[in-house]
This record gives sequence, C-alpha cells and structure tokens, in this order.
Amino acid sequence: MNLTFVMTRTFLRLFSRDRQAIFFSLFFPLVFMTVFGLAGSGADDPMKIGIVDSAGNALSRQFVATLSANPLFEVSEGDEAALREQVVAGDLRLALILPAGFQDNGTPSALTVLVDAAQVRELGLIMPVLEQALVDVERDLRNITSLFSLTVEDVKARSQNYLSFVVPGLLAFTLMTLSIGGSGFNIVEYRRKGILKRLFVTPIQPKHFIGGLVLSRTIICMTQLTVLVGIAVVLFRVEVAGSFASLYVVGILGTALFLSIGFCLGSLAKTQQAIMAIGNLVTFPQVFLSGIFYPIETLPDLIQPFAHLLPLSFVATGLREIIVNGAGIGDILPTLAGLTVWAIVALGLAIWLFVWKEVAA
Amino acid sequence: MLIVEARDLFKSYPRPDRKGETFNAVDGVSLAIEAGEVFGILGPNGAGKTTTLEMLEGLTDIGGGVAIVAGLDVKAEPYKVKQRIGVQLQANEYFDHLSLRELLRLFTALYGRAEAPETLLGRVNLLEKADAKPAKLSGGQKQRFSIACALVNEPQVLFLDEPTTGLDPQAKRNIWDLIRALNSKGMTIVLTTHNMEEAESLCGRIAIMDHGKIIAQGTPQELILQHAPEPPTAPLHGNLEDVFLHLTGSALRE
Repeated sequence: MNLTFVMTRTFLRLFSRDRQAIFFSLFFPLVFMTVFGLAGSGADDPMKIGIVDSAGNALSRQFVATLSANPLFEVSEGDEAALREQVVAGDLRLALILPAGFQDNGTPSALTVLVDAAQVRELGLIMPVLEQALVDVERDLRNITSLFSLTVEDVKARSQNYLSFVVPGLLAFTLMTLSIGGSGFNIVEYRRKGILKRLFVTPIQPKHFIGGLVLSRTIICMTQLTVLVGIAVVLFRVEVAGSFASLYVVGILGTALFLSIGFCLGSLAKTQQAIMAIGNLVTFPQVFLSGIFYPIETLPDLIQPFAHLLPLSFVATGLREIIVNGAGIGDILPTLAGLTVWAIVALGLAIWLFVWKEVAA
Repeated sequence: MLIVEARDLFKSYPRPDRKGETFNAVDGVSLAIEAGEVFGILGPNGAGKTTTLEMLEGLTDIGGGVAIVAGLDVKAEPYKVKQRIGVQLQANEYFDHLSLRELLRLFTALYGRAEAPETLLGRVNLLEKADAKPAKLSGGQKQRFSIACALVNEPQVLFLDEPTTGLDPQAKRNIWDLIRALNSKGMTIVLTTHNMEEAESLCGRIAIMDHGKIIAQGTPQELILQHAPEPPTAPLHGNLEDVFLHLTGSALRE
C-alpha cells in the first residue's frame, strides 16, 4: 500500500480514538448553535423599565397603562428609591419618573429618566424608542390619528435569522481550529515525543507524512462540516440555499489554507506552550475580526478593509454566501481568489520554514 | 565483509550559548564494522555518539565525509539504506491510542512488508502485551518493544542507541540476552553505551569517542592492555571503566 495512505489511515484512526478532540470539535459549535438558536427563536425580550407615578391621577394611570400595553416594555411600578436601586443593580434598564404635576393642562411636564449610562450601551437606541412611546401615548390621550405607520418586511422573504448568519461563521471557525490543531499542534507534539524521528527511521518520506496528514485532516474537516450543517438543518431549521458541492469546495480550500498555517506555526514553535501561544495569537484576532458572530460592517471603518482580507473572513464569507444567499461557485470567485492567494502564501511559507531534518531532530 | 563504513564523518551545529559560532559535534570519525559484529561506541554525554549513529542511519544530514551502510551510500540513497537497517532510538514514545500490535502493523506497512506483529512480539517476549498501549509498559518492556519495532524489516544492521540506559539489572540482562540471540543469527549490531560492563560483555570491538573524535579503538582486551593506567608489569590490571575515565577525564559532563 502507498505510504501516504498508510499514514492517512493511521491519522484517521488516531483521531477517531481521541474522544476529547472529537468532543471539543463538535462541542463549541453546538453550544453556540443552541444558544443562538434559542435566543433567535422568539421575539426580542421586552425591555424592563420602572415607573414612579408621583402624580397618581387619571392621566398618569392611563399613561402607565398605555406603556404597559406596549410589547416593547415590561413595566413595574414602585417608589423612586427602590427603582433607583434596581437601575443601579441592572435589574431595570431605566426608571421613568412622572412628576407630581403630571396632567393635561397645556403645559408640558418634565419627565425624568434614571439610567446607568455605563450599563446601557444602547442608550442611543433606547431613547428614540421611549420618545416614540411617549408620542404614541400622547396621541392616544388626545385622540389624534397618526399620519404614518411602518410595517417591516424582510426583502429576502426567507425565514433566515441570526442563526443563519452565525452557522457559516461557526463552520469556518471549526475548520480553522481543527486544521491548525491538526497540523501545528500535532507536529509539535510528535516532535517533542520523538515520534516524528521514530517515523523517519523507516523509509517514509516527508511527502508521505504531510500527504497523509493533509488527506486525513481534509476528510475529518469535511465530515465535521457535514455533521454540523446536518445538525443545523435538522435541529435548528437553518436553510442551506446553495449546494453542498460548493460548500465542500470552500471547505477544502479553507482546510488546505489553515493546515498550511498550522505547518508554519508548528515549524516556529518548539514547545507545546509556544504553539498554544502563537496559535492563539493567530486565531483569536480572526475570531473577533472575521465576521464570525457579527458582520464585519459593524467594526470601525478603519479596520474593515483589513478584516475583510483575513483568511477566516474569506472562508466565513464564502460559506455564508452559499448557505444564506444560495451563491454558486461562479458567484464567489473573488472570495475563492482570496482564499487561493492565502493558501499559496501559507503553503510557500510552510515549505520555506519547514526543515525536515531539524523537525525530526 | 564491511557492512558499515564511515570515512571522516563530520557534523557541526550552531552553538546554543554563543550566537554565530558553531561546534563540531562529530569531527572526522572513521569506522569499519564487519558483518556479524557487535560493535560498541562508548563515550560521555555529548561526545557525538548519537549524531554519528544518526548520520549512519540517514536521519541527520551528513555534514562531511562518506558513509556506506549495507552496501549503499547513505548520502545518495538514504531511503534505501533505511529499508535495510533497523534503528532503536533513545526516546521511545509512540502515538497514543495505538496498541503494540497496531504500531507494529504500522511500522511493517511503512517498509512495505507484512510480517505478523505476533511473530515480532514473540521474539522480544511481549506477546501477552499485544493489545496494550506502550504507555502501560515498564522500562524494560518499552525497550524490548522498541527493539521489536526495529526488527520489522529483518534488518542487516541493527543500530541501538543506549539500549539499557535507565533499566534495572534484570531488564538489562534480558536486553543483553536478546542482543546476543539476534547476533548469533548473523545480525550485525552497532550500539552506543556508557555502561562499561555492557561494552565489555557484549561487544567484539569498541570505539571510544570524546569531543566528536574517536580516541581509541579495538577489542576490550586490546584497550585494557594499551590504555589502563596501571603499569603493564602485571597483565590486565584495571577494567574498562578505568580505561574510559583515563581517556576522557573524570570531570562531570552535562
């Protein structure tokens, strides 16, 4: 049998017996899917607000009732001191104080809003909503019919939600960790234990070893990709708009790219601690910058052009275009080109850094 | 017939402590080992024994000189040489999750052969451990297993790097018996050691290395006659350890 296949079979057997590795390669994506799947299933949680009704007249009662009826808010009443404490504790987003002179006598009443600005990051988003609610109440009280009304319609007209956005990102993330771990981490481990040297006592050549590692990891990554997409489709009702064939094209290119990066790291790092450190250095920024959990467009303008060029961005974008928008290979050529350029650069660097005799020593 | 021949082997490495400088790990080593011999390379730690072996085995690039092993030029045909030799390394760790049987099957496949793992395990008395993982073996069992791994291709020359270091006396004797049994069937054995008793009782000829050079070579008796520090009025005073310390000095090595 060809030595490449001997090694491929060996690496596959090693992975299949490494329960810890299998568990962790599925655990994180599944946890994230579950969390986001559950979070995205219902409507947004109502905002908890408190109201201090210092007026206690008919108008203020009606105001409180109208606000309570608004599905955006979950209203609780209380005295100012108690509500203030709850705002500080973070149990309430804000507390609204209706002054004693809150009545419909032509003079505007000054309402006070208690907030913890440090806790309410979305204050800028909340205030207009609140003001809108106040306007609605006012219209209601004065029996004015609104001139406009807004209905939101999803232009994509598909049942896609945040989970559909995050699943391709999670797939890309899984490919990255499995590949970089498979080449970089394993090589450092095999070298440290003298296993590499033991192998190279036999007539095996580097090409057989690398070929076996690449082939086995590609099979492992494509299997994980299939399992995770299957779970997303069956359990979480994520729709895959494009074809599986296109997914595998992006997946295999991504695997090749990350394996090469792993080989580079494995050549640079001499110890297990070192590979952990430089592995994190390479993967962590990409997790935050590559649009895995949030669109790259939410990043500061200055960073966006660079973020789009990260290896993980290309993989995530490619998978997302296929899953969410039903793109075919022809539609994502720029992304594939980016992936290919990265793969060639990483492979070249890996070959340049990889001194076999030294690696085995 | 010569089965291992080395002429002026040379290898230098960058110094770990001083940047830009190199030191000669192996500095002009020549060896002529006959087929069927048990040949010992003795030397303190850092003398260049392992580097010499690894150049002969095709594991380390030959820095200078020529090595002919089993009739092949190591520099020109390292993979063919590996096909004909067996190597036991100092470190003997293996893939986790694979049993002795599976590891032997892997190594056999890497030589393109198909010997039954059980036959090999039987030769080193480990048959009952066939389904155990190497991590569960004792020191002596590990060493016997790594010799079994070195035998998968019926090698013409068996290289053993410190085969008994760290073993208790029983396990050590057991390995010696194994080496003698292999040699009695005609296998050439090249071993390194710093155990004088081992060299004296196993090896037909010995080369003593220090600072990358061979400083003495011959049968144990010849070496004692020539180099033992006692005056030669009485025949064979002292032992091989005296020769060793006399030649390499008694300062502690790292």
